[in-house]
Amino acid sequence: MEISFHEEIESLKLGDGEEFRGEGILAVTKALLQAGVSYVGGYQGAPVSHLLDVMVQAGEYLDELGVHVEACTNEASAAAMLGASINYPARGAVTWKSIVGTNVASDALSYLSTAGVVGGAMIIAGEDYGEGASVALERTHAFAMKSSIWLLDPRPNLTTIVDTVEKGFELSEASNSPVMVELRIRACHLQGSFVARDNLAPAVSTRHRLDGPPLFNYERLAHPPATFRQEKLKAEVRMPAARKFIRDNTLNEVFAGSESDLGIICQGGLYNSLQRALRMLGLADDFGNCRLPVLALNVVYPLIPEEISGFCSGKRAVLILEEGMPEFIEQEIATLLRRAAEQPALRDLGQTHLHGKDMLIQSGEYTTEVIVRGLARFLGEHAVHLDTSSGMRWIESNDAARARAAELLGAPLPARPPTFCVGCPERPVFAAMKLVKREIGEMHVAADIGCHAFATFEPFSQGNSILGYGMSLASAAGVAPMMSNRSMAIMGDGGFWHNGLLSGVASNLLNGGDAVLLIMKNGYTSATGTQEVISSPSEGEKAIARENSAVHTDKTIENTLRGAGVKWLRTVYTYRVAAMVKTLREAFTTQEPGLKVIVAEAECQLERQRRMRPILAKLLKSGERVLRTRFGVDDDTCTGDHSCIRLSGCPSLTVKPSADPLKVDPVAHVDNACVGCGLCGEVAHAAILCPSFYRVDIVQNPGAWDRFIDRVRGKVIGWLQPV
Amino acid sequence: MNGLNALPERPITILIAALGGEGGGVLADWIIGAATGQDYPVQSTSIPGVAQRTGATTYYIELYPARIAELGERRPVMTLTPAPGYVDVMVSSELLETGRALLNGFVTPERTTLVASTHRVYTTAEKMQMGDGRFDSERILKAAREMAKRAILFDMQQASAEAGTVISAVMFGALAGSATLPLPRAQCEDAIRKGGKGTEASLRGFALGYAAAERSSAASGDAKTGTTEGARGQPAAITSQTPLMAEQIRSNFPEQTHRIVGYGVDRTADFQDRPYADLYLDRLRPIVTRDREQGGAASDYKLTTETARFLALWMSYEDVIRVADLKSRRSRFERVRDEVQAKPDEPVHIVEYLKPGIEEAAALLPPGLSKVLLNWAEKRGLTYKLNVGMHIKSTSVTGFLILRLLALLRPLRRMTARYAQEQVLIERWLRAIAAARDPALALEIALCGRLIKGYGDTNRRAKTSMLRILDTLVEGSALPNETARANAIREAREAALEDPEGRQLESSLSTHGITPLPPKPKPIQFIRDAARNRRVA
Repeated sequence: MEISFHEEIESLKLGDGEEFRGEGILAVTKALLQAGVSYVGGYQGAPVSHLLDVMVQAGEYLDELGVHVEACTNEASAAAMLGASINYPARGAVTWKSIVGTNVASDALSYLSTAGVVGGAMIIAGEDYGEGASVALERTHAFAMKSSIWLLDPRPNLTTIVDTVEKGFELSEASNSPVMVELRIRACHLQGSFVARDNLAPAVSTRHRLDGPPLFNYERLAHPPATFRQEKLKAEVRMPAARKFIRDNTLNEVFAGSESDLGIICQGGLYNSLQRALRMLGLADDFGNCRLPVLALNVVYPLIPEEISGFCSGKRAVLILEEGMPEFIEQEIATLLRRAAEQPALRDLGQTHLHGKDMLIQSGEYTTEVIVRGLARFLGEHAVHLDTSSGMRWIESNDAARARAAELLGAPLPARPPTFCVGCPERPVFAAMKLVKREIGEMHVAADIGCHAFATFEPFSQGNSILGYGMSLASAAGVAPMMSNRSMAIMGDGGFWHNGLLSGVASNLLNGGDAVLLIMKNGYTSATGTQEVISSPSEGEKAIARENSAVHTDKTIENTLRGAGVKWLRTVYTYRVAAMVKTLREAFTTQEPGLKVIVAEAECQLERQRRMRPILAKLLKSGERVLRTRFGVDDDTCTGDHSCIRLSGCPSLTVKPSADPLKVDPVAHVDNACVGCGLCGEVAHAAILCPSFYRVDIVQNPGAWDRFIDRVRGKVIGWLQPV
Repeated sequence: MNGLNALPERPITILIAALGGEGGGVLADWIIGAATGQDYPVQSTSIPGVAQRTGATTYYIELYPARIAELGERRPVMTLTPAPGYVDVMVSSELLETGRALLNGFVTPERTTLVASTHRVYTTAEKMQMGDGRFDSERILKAAREMAKRAILFDMQQASAEAGTVISAVMFGALAGSATLPLPRAQCEDAIRKGGKGTEASLRGFALGYAAAERSSAASGDAKTGTTEGARGQPAAITSQTPLMAEQIRSNFPEQTHRIVGYGVDRTADFQDRPYADLYLDRLRPIVTRDREQGGAASDYKLTTETARFLALWMSYEDVIRVADLKSRRSRFERVRDEVQAKPDEPVHIVEYLKPGIEEAAALLPPGLSKVLLNWAEKRGLTYKLNVGMHIKSTSVTGFLILRLLALLRPLRRMTARYAQEQVLIERWLRAIAAARDPALALEIALCGRLIKGYGDTNRRAKTSMLRILDTLVEGSALPNETARANAIREAREAALEDPEGRQLESSLSTHGITPLPPKPKPIQFIRDAARNRRVA
């Protein structure tokens, strides 16, 4: 794993009254322990990776408490794990990145929520939305609604988040329904503090085991005929119970304000931005005292009809702040108010103006500026007596500043998307593909989720579709038969085990497909923080491999493919560009029918470096001979056409102004971040680029022989060498 | 509002722009640590995600400058997203990212102190261009100075290299030194010490950053410590080997051209011999004459300078002899040692990656033999297939001798096929320049010399582009007048630098009614119908 959570594990042990300081997602982790969870599972992905990572690393402590932790192979298996709470009074929590994780988990979620739970069941969904998001932008809210899962969206401060998680378990048990806590990216990475409580050792746990299952009860099965009754239960029993709990415990918060005939209803997660926006408009101070009443929904599904009508009653106009689309909350509030207004006592609700997406942007993150613009429209229509000129001036000056900056810069700035790390073993594969395409032409490339998706950016700019994690081969199923040349699918080992083996490989074999599948076997799910998969090299093998790649020691992927019936299977070490070119060429031109799989093998450079650094430091310290390898480009033979960069894109292969006063274009240059992976040289060879690349081996702690031979060479060469 | 008069007006907001792996997260943690040590309410957020992998990312911090003990039960509501026009300190680890912050309105004259590094980490999009794709740093610096309330600009990368640490430590020092936060220096250094790892180096980096920020504050309101890659060298004295040659340059060429022509003479003499340098000067003479006649003084004899530049580069084309020569020089060995930062007692082995083939061999043969070899190879489809990948250790005696022996072929160069071929094309280009009636047109043709670069396939494509422009726009009759011709050549040259396959060039040419060359054919593969192997119907 990429990060060591040594310190964080200590803070998970804090007791009553002690101050916890740290990241939002770790505060949630602590909250789970405070709530006495029996089991935790999940699938890694930003922004919630740390929850599971820290739990996995805290194995010893969790074992003391009796908490079971499982690193699931995908979100579906994580969601299914919550099935433990259907029959047993055990609290459980699982986590994943949403929307994508919720999509994958949705089958199990339907069945879980239909059967209902007796132990609290909670999903921590990292809402990957807005700036920094890396997935398709959709709302988790829809899943909560369709599956009757209660959706919590706490105000983004650690105390509220922790309290909400703990209350969430009670809510789940009180209503026999799973609950979901949605945390936006920035809330997960929020560094703050809260006052801790003691952790609760679960009553049912690995230390206090159950004697066996309860008596057979068909009602626990989400299977007909029970499903028909369960659907009724959802609407008639569980939902009302949930609403009662939310109301009784005032999970949603009303903040009073002097302008009592106006109001704002917001998702809890947007509360802080709303307060800042009101402050910009001169309507609030820094401590949340504001002139407009606010209803902050820490529970965004279900809504409490009386709460909504109570808040809106006597108000001329109400603005709803709801991020993303469609505007489910706004629609539901509109329906609730319309229904409430049918009652004679609440008839005045029919007069309340309801605003939301009509005044705010349809899609995208609700930042302070976006909210100020929306509030300005709302207040302009309904509260002309309020002086909001400071906010308007602010917006105008922002527009002016951006326009002036754009004018001064004179041209659009080049984008800086993420790319493969220095020395990444996946980069050479795409260099090889670029070379193969020169020979045999373009082919349809189905891309996938993972680091290898960076090949969609420059300089590789390849990939025709991305359909989800592990879906590349499956997404080529309809394309391949229509193409005159073979199609290609790229998949990481993460994607392969997440979904690709079944959705892609099995389906292709069943249908006699003819595609080329390239699997990046780097040993980990690297994009999410190098978590392990079942084909990760063992600790023992890694210790033997030392600084070298250890992934060749595990053959699970190859054996699985052979077992499934793949006949054409090649394994190529990725840094051998020429060999990769040859293998790709063969895959695309062979007459052999059926799926052709290339396993591109080499360990994730991050993991290798992490292992290597202490080993090398130790060797250097003890005076052992250590070879440091780097690559370089000769200034005076480089002509500055940058074709090497177009084939590599390595961050450490960059440009610098030419020292030659005659050359106008910058020359290629290898900076000191180079780890000596050798790709530059391989590409220069495979593409017959230019003779400017050289490798340098620097002998650190040279031995007597090194020094002797170096002296001899220096003498002889020095004698013959021109200046 | 009511009764809160004694409190600070507002929170202090800090936005950090960094690239993945630069320690932006650590910097945010240090700030949190220092602020917490002072009992200030503080909060940070970030959006790391996949940007961890070298992409651009930001960290955002809010600090309320009143001690928690004085606030009683009250706690400030702090936001998680930075707002434009509401950033007190913008800290940026790289110049282009500073530009991005400006563009997003995060640096405003009323409020923002900008603490930014002046160095560039080029994006792939900038690096991969065939010419110079770098964004103009001067523009960003100018915008930064205008948009910021105060700008502290210096090369933080250099400072971090000096201190042997990551850039985040220098950024923290500069932030502390900017005196924009209520955090005393000792408190900041404490936060670094509490962080653990690499403390000493971090503190060194911090000190350098702190000093740089203080210096820039002392230099009055407008803190311009920024340096950029400066203009390339001053006009150098003529450095040609013989007084005779120097005299020739002095008497035949205007002063404005002496620097480049001098370098050109050096280069060509170094490439071959003195007569070759004489040839260089002879070739330039008609150009300078023409330049003078056409009033070149007004443009500082740009036509002569640019022709001299590209002629020197072209005449010193990189053949095997030249490459072997350059790679086996002492100055080169020293440069490599320096570049890889080897310690004096550490032996350094240099291994060259060479892959010569039929083309390179044929280039060394006399034209007749060369043709025979190339024809033979082409008939068998072996032209690009017989390249031998070689790893030559130039620091070993054998490797060095191989390179020197190749370099020793220099006197025979005039007999090689490549020599003959290059001279023909050079002459044709020079004739076209000299023949141009319009000075602007002549200059555009001269500037086409920039297209000639690269090795092997790249060099072949470069020459194809050059010939294509000569054939169509220079010597063809597609354009009505000299001005149109000059404009078309400029556009075509820029288009030729857009993509290596020359597709942009063809599309540029086609706007003048020139039929595009068909794209290079790709082999068709016949593959058995896979459907017959289905396991299900």
